Amino acid sequence: MIKKIITDAKKAIADAMDLKALDDSRVLYLGKKGELTDLLKGLGKLSKEERPVMGEAINEAKVQIQKLLDSRKSELEDIALTKRLLDEKIDVTLPGRNFEKGSLHPITQTLNHIQDIFTKAGFEIEIGPEIEDDFHNFSALNIPEHHPARAMHDTFYFDSNTVLRTHTSPVQIRTLERQKPPVRVIVPGKVYRNDSDVTHTPMFHQVEGLIVDKEASFSQLKGLLIDFLRAYFEKDDLKVRFRPSYFPFTEPSAEADIECVICGGEGCRVCKKSGWLEVLGCGVVHPNVLTAVNIDPNEFSGLAFGMGVERLAMLRYSVNDLRLFFENDVRFLNQF
Amino acid sequence: MNISTRWIREWANPDVSDSDLSEKLTMAGLEVDRIAPVAPPFEGLVVGHVVNCDKHPNADKLSLCEIDIGADSNLQIICGAPNVRKDLKVVVATVGSVLPSKLKIKRAKLRGVESNGMLCSESEIGLSESHEGIIELDMASTLGENIRSVLDLDDHIIELDITPNRGDCFSVLGVAREVCVNYNLSMPSINYKSEQKGTRLFSSKVTNPSECAKYLTRVIEGVDNSVETPKWMAQKLLRASQQLHSPIVDITNYVLLELGQPMHAFDLKTINGGIEVRSALKGETLELLNGQTVSLTEKTLVIADEKSAIAIAGVMGGMKTATLENSSEILLESAFFDQISIAGIARSYGLHTEASLRFERGVDFNITHQAMERATELVLEICGGNASVINECIDPQSLPALEPIEISNDKISKVLGFDLEPSWIESKFKFLEFEFTTNSSNSWTIKPPSFRFDIRIPADIIEELARLYGYDKIPVQRLSINANISKSSQAKITSNDLSSSLVNRGYKEVITYSFISNEMHELVDPNATKILLKNPISDDMAVMRSSLWSGLIQSAKSNIRRGHHNARFFELGQCFTGTLVEDQVQKIAGIICGNRHDSQWSGSEREVDFFDAKSDVEALLFLSKNEFTFEAAEHPALQMGQTAKIIKGNKVIGWVGALSPKLQKTLSMPNSFLFEINQKEIEQGEISCYEPFSSFQASQRDIAIVVSKQITADQLINSIRSLKQDDLVDVNLFDVYEGEHIDEGSKSIALNLTYQSIEVTLTDEQLAEKVSKIVAHLELKFSAKLR
Repeated sequence: MIKKIITDAKKAIADAMDLKALDDSRVLYLGKKGELTDLLKGLGKLSKEERPVMGEAINEAKVQIQKLLDSRKSELEDIALTKRLLDEKIDVTLPGRNFEKGSLHPITQTLNHIQDIFTKAGFEIEIGPEIEDDFHNFSALNIPEHHPARAMHDTFYFDSNTVLRTHTSPVQIRTLERQKPPVRVIVPGKVYRNDSDVTHTPMFHQVEGLIVDKEASFSQLKGLLIDFLRAYFEKDDLKVRFRPSYFPFTEPSAEADIECVICGGEGCRVCKKSGWLEVLGCGVVHPNVLTAVNIDPNEFSGLAFGMGVERLAMLRYSVNDLRLFFENDVRFLNQF
Repeated sequence: MNISTRWIREWANPDVSDSDLSEKLTMAGLEVDRIAPVAPPFEGLVVGHVVNCDKHPNADKLSLCEIDIGADSNLQIICGAPNVRKDLKVVVATVGSVLPSKLKIKRAKLRGVESNGMLCSESEIGLSESHEGIIELDMASTLGENIRSVLDLDDHIIELDITPNRGDCFSVLGVAREVCVNYNLSMPSINYKSEQKGTRLFSSKVTNPSECAKYLTRVIEGVDNSVETPKWMAQKLLRASQQLHSPIVDITNYVLLELGQPMHAFDLKTINGGIEVRSALKGETLELLNGQTVSLTEKTLVIADEKSAIAIAGVMGGMKTATLENSSEILLESAFFDQISIAGIARSYGLHTEASLRFERGVDFNITHQAMERATELVLEICGGNASVINECIDPQSLPALEPIEISNDKISKVLGFDLEPSWIESKFKFLEFEFTTNSSNSWTIKPPSFRFDIRIPADIIEELARLYGYDKIPVQRLSINANISKSSQAKITSNDLSSSLVNRGYKEVITYSFISNEMHELVDPNATKILLKNPISDDMAVMRSSLWSGLIQSAKSNIRRGHHNARFFELGQCFTGTLVEDQVQKIAGIICGNRHDSQWSGSEREVDFFDAKSDVEALLFLSKNEFTFEAAEHPALQMGQTAKIIKGNKVIGWVGALSPKLQKTLSMPNSFLFEINQKEIEQGEISCYEPFSSFQASQRDIAIVVSKQITADQLINSIRSLKQDDLVDVNLFDVYEGEHIDEGSKSIALNLTYQSIEVTLTDEQLAEKVSKIVAHLELKFSAKLR
């Protein structure tokens, strides 16, 4: 009897193709009016000896059928889930919704990179006005009227005393007017020269650096700038050389060249076959500059440097035309 | 300055290659921009003599030549050059030689006649582009001699980029001095002395000795200026990029290049009486050698005869007194003019000449006589004649003072960061021709030579020592750590914070020129003060921008023209309403146009509108956590009714709005929305301060009211807020509706009110009472009707 119920139940459970059919089977065999329940109800009619034997058999059957039900249920749930997953399948390669790619201008990215390196070395960032007076742009920087260096600057004028700054160096003066040494600043910003051709734009960017302290030597300047250039180009063995040069506001003055990052120093069009690229100017601050801002050049020394940001950006991002930076073509901007 | 290495080596000849020499000069501070051989490599070309020259039997334009190259037998060579003729000395490429074009010369037959070589033109051996005919050599050239040595072709031209402080290097003499200092060679001394047979005296005087401390003149009579400038001189001048004129002018140019002393030669017969060096008179004019006639200002130092100015001192001579081919009496001038006055003069007339370049950077005031003697010697040698005595006007008081300079070894070490040996230092002083005395305490007193205008203070001497030691050899040190911790406020909103915010919202940053056209200024910001450049690059770059919109509009426009219609650009930069520091204001601005999103698989496109721009502005404003309001306003560049000014406190700090239809039309722009904010006003944020939040449940109540269209959202919300109702924590306007079921001139507004008490959960009755108070307030204040 019980055996038959189990056999029937087994078949019914296996045949159940969905949860509803499975539940019908449960009701049929284990429900309040189910076949096993009926048998349980009939236990009272059995003898004292038969009762426990039968009871145990029914309970075993119940457990067995319940197991079959549970197992089939989980099978059916798996099947249902698989079907749902198939139904809900999407093309995950479709683009995300409403995404517009914004970007920082490559010059800004270059400025940020330069600023990060120097701020880690304890430099503060200073900025200054772009329209400058003669004193800050020239005289205080040891470029008196009629100095040949003035002619080299291709200055934009508003009147005889007011110019668009030709370099970020006037901010050296503004900083020292405001702040007593020790000073360690860098000055990012726009500068202007009345010159426009394939390799010149009338506006470009510079980063100026200034250190004024009791002890500040040309050797330290060399060390700082070699470290900076290696950090900027992320090349620990980048070759850097220093050449004597001339700036009215530094003495000794130097220009720093790096091995050409395009050809690795072999000689190419970018480095004009020299294997070297000029990347910055620097020097020990001229005593006249310190005197102009009432700092005693016998007590303090200054170190200064300046670099062209477009040049550094061109080398870093392999941009071959300076003018691209100011055309703002999205096909260019999108690449940064 | 271009100069040939051969010429330098006549003075200073280190045992190194030209390229090593050039590298050394660069590393010593005389930057060599370029070094180029005067001729490309070739071998096997020799001097030949045209012994016979007949017509080719089978070709009209060819000649059949018999050439003697000093060998056992003569060569038969066919030549097509029009200038080939008997008794010419020519450049012969013999069989087996290779020309720069890689052409190998072979035995050949031309129209049936054998040719055993080739006669060369300048272009064929790479000397110039000229192939008008074959080279005609000096008749004194030795037969069979190698052409490279005959024409001095194993030479390089170096282009020196001389810095403004090194005026002394604008000559062969100066560069040679540098070579000697760098290679520890001794410099040959100069002592020119010319024969003085003439007896002509000439009167000259200097009225302004402070501007002209030395003025030397000398008459040379009986010169022949029609002769040819000798080849050796012509070649050096040409290799220095100096054009040839007449022998007299070439000689003055030669002395300028050789010794660095600008010279001038006047035709004496054109000069009226004596010479006076004086300031120009009012109204005086002068026709210059370049054909230009200038009106002289009273500040200009001129050379004048008894009648008028005949030259601008140290800059350029006059046309009337110039030497010509038939000049037979000349007056040579060698002078020392003051640096600053020449610089001022040259610039004020826009005349930058070889002479003015040297005077304004400083000419050795001890070379004036030597240059005069050198020039005289060359004139007598080349043009003949009799030289008279040198007339001198010298004011020793006005010559540059060479003050002694004190320098200690300690100072040198301090500036350079390492120690130099005193004996090394002194040896360099000697090579530099510094007069010095050694003081007891490891210091020196130095007097610089007269040609070094850049050596005046101790720093100048330290630089000399550093560059001669070699910048590359200077040891590298690190800066000591700066223990000052930077004081920066966490509340400060940086440019990077603002940029990042916009970049994350899909904006691309642009950088545009700070100067714009007058037209753009008038269109975009006509009420702002116009700051004009005196010398703009072009009319398009003549006005300093007062707003970033001009550049942004142009960036959007040029990208739209290239097919990129959905523009989202921003820029950060200084804007100008004056030239004072406080008139230069940093702004951040943006432009959007086209569709809100690029077309996509999901959902429909829509055009951007005012509220897209406004939300971007709000994103920026939110960073600083300050209170800002938007108020309807009018702006010349923006569309009436879709323009708001951004207000902080009582101050207008920016604008947002639609580009006006008028500007759209003028500028061919689509619907665009612009914003601009003064950065300073949004850079001061607040440090966050925690406020406890309620643990009781918040309740939402919605109300819909009908009000007049004139009532703004801000008015409603601010009015509700002004009630300061307890437990009202948020008011959110979530729907605006006009149209069907709403009276004309009215609109329906739906508001969501959030209530939350810090102490209890509010009951429905309490909430209903609070909401009805708000409705009553709105009815009273705005005649609002509950829907």
